[in-house]
Amino acid sequence: MKPRLRLWLGADWFGPLAIILAASIGITIFDPSFLSPFNLQILMLATAVNVVVAMSQMIIIAVGQMNLAIGAIGGLAAISFAGLMQVWSFPPALAAAAALAIGVTAGLLNGALIASTGISAFIITLASLSVFKGADLGITRAQPFYNIPAEVKALGDTTILGPIPWLALPAALVVAGMWRLLNRQKVGRYILAVGGNASAAELSGVSISRTILWAHGISGFLAALAGVMLVARLQLGQPSIGDDWLILSFAAPVIGGAALSGGHVSVFGTLFGVVIVAVITQALVIFRIDPFFVQVVLGLLILAAVGLNRMREVRFAGA
Amino acid sequence: MTNLSLEARGIHKSFPGVLALQDVSISLRGGSIHALLGENGAGKSTLIKIITGVHRPDAGELRLNGAPVRFAGAREAISAGVGVVHQERNLIPRFSVGENIGLEHLGGGVLHGIDYGKIHAEARKWLDVLELDLDPRTPVSQLNVAKVQLVEIAKALSLRSRVLLLDEPTASLTSQEAQVLFRLLRKLRDEGASLLFVSHKLEEVQDICDEVTVLRDGRNACPSRALAGLARADLVRLMIGRSEQIPDWPRRSAEGAPPMLELMNVSTSLGHTSVNLKLRKGEIVGLYGLVGAGRTELAKCIMGLHLITDGDLRVEGQMRRIGSVSEAIYKHGIGYMSEDRKQEGLILTHSVLENAGVAVWRKLANRLGLLTDKAVRAHVAPIIAGLEVRTPSLAQTVGNLSGGNQQKVSLAKWLAAGVRILIVDEPSVGIDIKTKAHIHELLRRLADEGAAILLITSDMPEMITVADRIVVMDAYRIKGELANDRDYARMGKGIMALIHARDAV
Repeated sequence: MKPRLRLWLGADWFGPLAIILAASIGITIFDPSFLSPFNLQILMLATAVNVVVAMSQMIIIAVGQMNLAIGAIGGLAAISFAGLMQVWSFPPALAAAAALAIGVTAGLLNGALIASTGISAFIITLASLSVFKGADLGITRAQPFYNIPAEVKALGDTTILGPIPWLALPAALVVAGMWRLLNRQKVGRYILAVGGNASAAELSGVSISRTILWAHGISGFLAALAGVMLVARLQLGQPSIGDDWLILSFAAPVIGGAALSGGHVSVFGTLFGVVIVAVITQALVIFRIDPFFVQVVLGLLILAAVGLNRMREVRFAGA
Repeated sequence: MTNLSLEARGIHKSFPGVLALQDVSISLRGGSIHALLGENGAGKSTLIKIITGVHRPDAGELRLNGAPVRFAGAREAISAGVGVVHQERNLIPRFSVGENIGLEHLGGGVLHGIDYGKIHAEARKWLDVLELDLDPRTPVSQLNVAKVQLVEIAKALSLRSRVLLLDEPTASLTSQEAQVLFRLLRKLRDEGASLLFVSHKLEEVQDICDEVTVLRDGRNACPSRALAGLARADLVRLMIGRSEQIPDWPRRSAEGAPPMLELMNVSTSLGHTSVNLKLRKGEIVGLYGLVGAGRTELAKCIMGLHLITDGDLRVEGQMRRIGSVSEAIYKHGIGYMSEDRKQEGLILTHSVLENAGVAVWRKLANRLGLLTDKAVRAHVAPIIAGLEVRTPSLAQTVGNLSGGNQQKVSLAKWLAAGVRILIVDEPSVGIDIKTKAHIHELLRRLADEGAAILLITSDMPEMITVADRIVVMDAYRIKGELANDRDYARMGKGIMALIHARDAV
């Protein structure tokens, strides 16, 4: 029993999970309605989309880069999804497939530019952020698409079982898929290897450019998926979808123990990081604190998480 | 001479401004451990990079098992069976030992994931070959340096390398760990592998190597030959040669001049113990030692980058505690010219004027703290001219200058700052012979004008050319001191003797 406990204590997801449990207990004592089915449903809805956003950044952190364009890709995919259904009457499944394809293409474009030019991902995705966002605004003239088919809307506000919303299903599949990718698939291991020590990976026969392409393709796919999910949840194709993703997309993986230098991320740590943000947002509502302060709390949380990880690493190195 | 496994013939290689290898040949045989020796800058690493496909030779050929080969990159060399264990770590720290070894062939598809059981079992096989009692599931980040080294060897073996190059494999090992490694290397040799062993430590070479190739100034100092019959003194003679041109400068003596910098029984947080060193006005003291002896580290302690934990440091006779680099420069007039000019010495994207002036900005800023280009220019221009820096203008970006001229700019920086004590670390690495000679003259001239200079170099001829006294350091201790009589052969022997003297203390 003891070694297992030690293993848990050392795992990246343990700290965030402990924070969630402690915070939930604290909030419930103060206001038992925190655990009401309705509140749980709100928590899960917020988590479902955000965890896909966070995974879209996490895979790029794993390869040792950053992707500033995930919000813009998500927004472009979202208005494509809504627009195809409203303007050209695409069936929802086909429109979603097209939106996801746009996301993958946008991600591959980023990856190809980074791999072929060697320019830093920061610069490339800063530029493509502007291009994708500009396309989004140009196509929509900044006006939302309102005619969302009823079945899509239903996906966004009905539940499977008890408080579990339908949107939790794609989110759960993404989490499971990412865990398997990063722990059991060659592509995922190569992404971590390149992030951990690119020259060593290359000398072991790993193609760095192909790995970067994979990471950005996956990132684009997930950003687009989050955009599509958000259309269902908001019940309209808002051009501003994705504008507020960036901070959360870095915060959750970092809270979950990711090394921003690459090579190390935790899928469950990131999931719990997203949950922490959702719980805190709820807590601020319950305690009647201005929800605009969420950003302040989020910022402090990032600092605390980084500090904690640094301490753990020091201890780790000493062991 | 049968079973030649890898052979290089008539290799030429030049880099801009430097002829790195001239007509170099080496032949490795199966079932033998071959030593590659030479001083720093003799061309060892260039030769290794050519054999492992990192560089392409300008002329000459490589033959593997008799057949000519051309490697387009490191990957091709590896798949042809030429493995290399580099000095720098080439493993992925967060991955397990087994996954690192098997990274080339992880397997697994979309439906069935990677089979870690199989990968770790495969890795176990190679660890067993090395008699390494190590769980293949351990993350590499938890291993000590010696184990990491052995895992790298296991990885090279798993790629079926028949030729294995080891670049200073014992640099970070204790002698006990080194013995384990040697036992393994002998075993591999007995099984028919061909090993190339690069080391500065001659005892080790004599201990385990069968054959030897010595390089000097980018040429073969001897063809590949059996090590038997060569005594240690013969190896040293081959490495440093006798044909060195030591300019016939008069001997200088600073006897009686006031001491500028003194270290008395100094210990540092980096591990130096009881270091005694005296630097007089107008004197050039050479600090010789092999790579890793702790010379650069000592310089950084003097500059206030690391703590002096015990003993006294005196500047011009006064006890001092130097807390920071800016204190060292501005209060005590000590400058440090880094061995790594591109990383630590210069800002390559800035102009000559900005680089040479950076250390005097403080002094030249006017009362409002403003700085005019004119003031800096007036101060720096004569110094740049005096050093004969070849630059089209002071506005030229330093990154566009040749290595020698870059080095002169970093020297100019300290002259402009008016330092009286100058620590010069490996001043002529990557610099052509003519500029090197010029820099040597400059150092002598500076000393004649009253500067006290501590010269750190691994380049023996440079040391004997420039220094007045030579202090030898090894393993973070001072091993002894020699007055430089500028007799190359005698000094070379004396220095080597001091380095390899079993602790006389």
